[in-house]
Amino acid sequence: MNRVRIIQVTLLAATLWLLAACAAPTAQVVEKTVVVEKPVEKIVEKTVVAEKTVIVEKTVVVQPTAVPGRDTLVVALARAPQGIDPADHSSREAETVIRNVYDGLVTRDATSGVHMEIAESVKWLDTKTLEIKLRKGVKFHDGSELKADDVVFTFDRVFKTNAIEFPQPHTALRKGFLGPLGTAEKKDDYTVVMNFTAPWPAAMQLLVHTQIVSKAYVQKVGTKGLIEKPLGTGPFKFVSSKTGLEEVVLERFADYYGGAPTLTPVGKSCVSRAVFRVIPENSTRVAALLAGEVDVIAEVPAELVDTLKKVPGVQVKTVPGTRPIWMEFNVKQAPFDDPKVRQALNYAVDKNLIIKKVYNGLAQPLAGALMPTNNFADPSLKPYAYDKAKALALLKEAGWVPDASGMLMKDGKPLAFVIDTIDSIRPLTEALATLLRDIGVDASVRVWEYNVVRTKLLAGERQAYVGDWGDSAFDPVGHMEAKWHSLVTGSTYGRGNFSGYSNARVDKLIKDGEIENDAAKRKAIYNEAQKLIYDEAPAIFLVLPEAIEAAGARVQNWTPASDSRENLHDVCLK
Amino acid sequence: MKAIKIFERVLTTIPIMFGVAIIVFFFIRLTPGDPVDIMLGRSAAASQREIEQLRHQFHLDEPLHAQLGYFLGDAMRGNLGYSYIRNKSVVDLLAERLPATIELTLGSLLVSLIIALPIGILSAVRQNSFLDRFSMAGAFLGISMPGFWLGIILILFFAVYLQWLPAQSRLGYDVQLQEITGMYVLDSILTGNMPALMDSLKHLVLPSITLGAGVAAIVARVLRSSLLEVLRSDYIKLARAKGATEWDVVMKHALRNALIPTVTVVGLQVGVLLGGNMIVETVFSWPGLGRLVVDAIFNRDFPLIQGAVMIYAITFVLTNLVVDVLYTYLNPKITL
Repeated sequence: MNRVRIIQVTLLAATLWLLAACAAPTAQVVEKTVVVEKPVEKIVEKTVVAEKTVIVEKTVVVQPTAVPGRDTLVVALARAPQGIDPADHSSREAETVIRNVYDGLVTRDATSGVHMEIAESVKWLDTKTLEIKLRKGVKFHDGSELKADDVVFTFDRVFKTNAIEFPQPHTALRKGFLGPLGTAEKKDDYTVVMNFTAPWPAAMQLLVHTQIVSKAYVQKVGTKGLIEKPLGTGPFKFVSSKTGLEEVVLERFADYYGGAPTLTPVGKSCVSRAVFRVIPENSTRVAALLAGEVDVIAEVPAELVDTLKKVPGVQVKTVPGTRPIWMEFNVKQAPFDDPKVRQALNYAVDKNLIIKKVYNGLAQPLAGALMPTNNFADPSLKPYAYDKAKALALLKEAGWVPDASGMLMKDGKPLAFVIDTIDSIRPLTEALATLLRDIGVDASVRVWEYNVVRTKLLAGERQAYVGDWGDSAFDPVGHMEAKWHSLVTGSTYGRGNFSGYSNARVDKLIKDGEIENDAAKRKAIYNEAQKLIYDEAPAIFLVLPEAIEAAGARVQNWTPASDSRENLHDVCLK
Repeated sequence: MKAIKIFERVLTTIPIMFGVAIIVFFFIRLTPGDPVDIMLGRSAAASQREIEQLRHQFHLDEPLHAQLGYFLGDAMRGNLGYSYIRNKSVVDLLAERLPATIELTLGSLLVSLIIALPIGILSAVRQNSFLDRFSMAGAFLGISMPGFWLGIILILFFAVYLQWLPAQSRLGYDVQLQEITGMYVLDSILTGNMPALMDSLKHLVLPSITLGAGVAAIVARVLRSSLLEVLRSDYIKLARAKGATEWDVVMKHALRNALIPTVTVVGLQVGVLLGGNMIVETVFSWPGLGRLVVDAIFNRDFPLIQGAVMIYAITFVLTNLVVDVLYTYLNPKITL
């Protein structure tokens, strides 16, 4: 009898859960928590971009409040970090762990503002020479002071060929983040001069991604030792890690200098211990939060936002993500060699419907080559409006006319193609195919493993591809060159250009923009490039999904960052 | 004598491993996707020279038979190479992950036997009773239930709603444990660490039930049908005629013979458990071999895939050996 009752209860629970899952509304528009950039931060960032100006710091010291009870902050990530050597990693999870243990010369706030961190000030001596004054009294976790030698050593490890000796000598994966760096020299103990081989206006946004290691420590323990026991100047000391970084335990660094003076609160970390745990399955990550096992979870699926918001005490916050999504046409093949067809299909897609149905309202439409939150996105470009009549008119001009069944035909052949995609973007792609079928396009979806389809795309072997491309630098450099410059084999240009799009003027503009130091001129250059790409439409410009995170009731002062980094310095537990 | 036979059987695993190694070596190279391309695809800038250098380092620029030579030569010296993606020796990576997987496999095996043996026996003895029909319906459900679904249901009920058991991981972050074997339950016992033992057992329960449910269902069905067959045989009638109690008839006379096909199935299911780990390890964020292998496959991490498949093969071969040895205990007429 007892067993029967247990089974009854279990079945009841299962049924309730299923009903709850089925009933989860997908069409509701969810309130967005938008992180507003503080005016002070903007000024700092703009001052840096404007060059040759020494930044004057304003320090606001706020002591962390003492926290009673459990003082360990547990953060659940969706994937394990791949390696935690600041010079040699490529995942955002790795960067999350690294930037809590190490500080950089500069850092970024929750949006795209750049702030001085270990650097006290930066100054462009000329267009190719950057002088960095270091803050005095910054200590590594072993108590030694950070000096110019450490900064030079860090840069050498990142950009010099084969500078990483373990497991085999190789060049650091982060090399690209130092742009055209020629040499880094020590001027005195607290001054470093970076000599670039070409002007590099994107320097500040990209320097955010290089964290400083201790020369003495790395020389003593080697790269292997550094990976096993990282040592930096950041707010948290590395304590231990388990099985392939599935769990990383950090503790407060008592001698921390306080971090960026322009980012309050300045001072030691609020919590005494922080733990990163990997929970790959979305439902489990959410369940662990609801069960109180973890305090903050990353990558909340949009469809669970409504459910989570109904749970008392659970906080859900969103911030614009940095992974815009396009459907790239193979512009070298018919029918997509005709710009009219490409423009028509841009008009044929109701992006707002996709945002509402697929992203639960948590995404923004794209208006071209750059995501709207990129510092150089052209605000005068508006997303292609949903206009079926215009789409059909343009298709008619291109020779595509609906037959009796409504299918678009030209010379007796239907407008049919396969849209390739990867599993994580499948729902969007399926919605897109449905919308395209709606105007008479015979579109079907094929899901690939990214590593397999990538080479086929670059070889021009596919017809259309829905994919995303990270833009966490908020600067066109790295993004425009990868996505919209013609493919130049053996270089970084066009390495993500899956449409085969090639426009000599756009190529020139992209290269000009990389080395233009005048901010206004640079903006004009990129605006022209964006306009050209917008008009020629090598892709259907789709959406920029929000990054969604959630936290438990005890978590305070927590803000998800746009570049998907979990900055735990300010977070408190009540 | 038996020890020598067992040793002989262990020796026969060597050619099997050799064959597995060669098959895996060629098969993974047939899959599209170039490891160097994937590796450097992550880096912002890689020159042609760096690509060639990397190919050379991993011997990928040499003909396949030469690559196979390097691989087998290294493998014989116990070196399975370096993981391309994780910058760590494959042996270390496997050693780090294998204990978690073994612990989970043993846990789920135990759970499945605890469920399956009484159900199988009772439903055979009370054939066609309500209990029989109910438990066989349950077994049917168990076979058809996908692991990830059951796992999530269990998490929602026991971790979120009742808050009795943890939803993820192997040990609470606030529990200290000195690792010896890497199997936390065993390590807690070895170090006499009671809090860690309780905590690791709690963490083991839900994933073990999830993984063990399907196996329990199969084992229960097999045990039921083989026990039914045995119970109809003449020697059982004789035992009853001699006046043996029903308990003695079933447990002493019938069960032993009925266990032979059951043990075979359990042995084969160990392979299923190892494979099923990939999903259950993901649902419960259990840092075992399954997830490592999936990652390795997506990244075309050849050395790691090869190493992991060899571990699976060895486990499978050894499990079959254990099954064969068990036969000889269940039925002394069977020899190795």
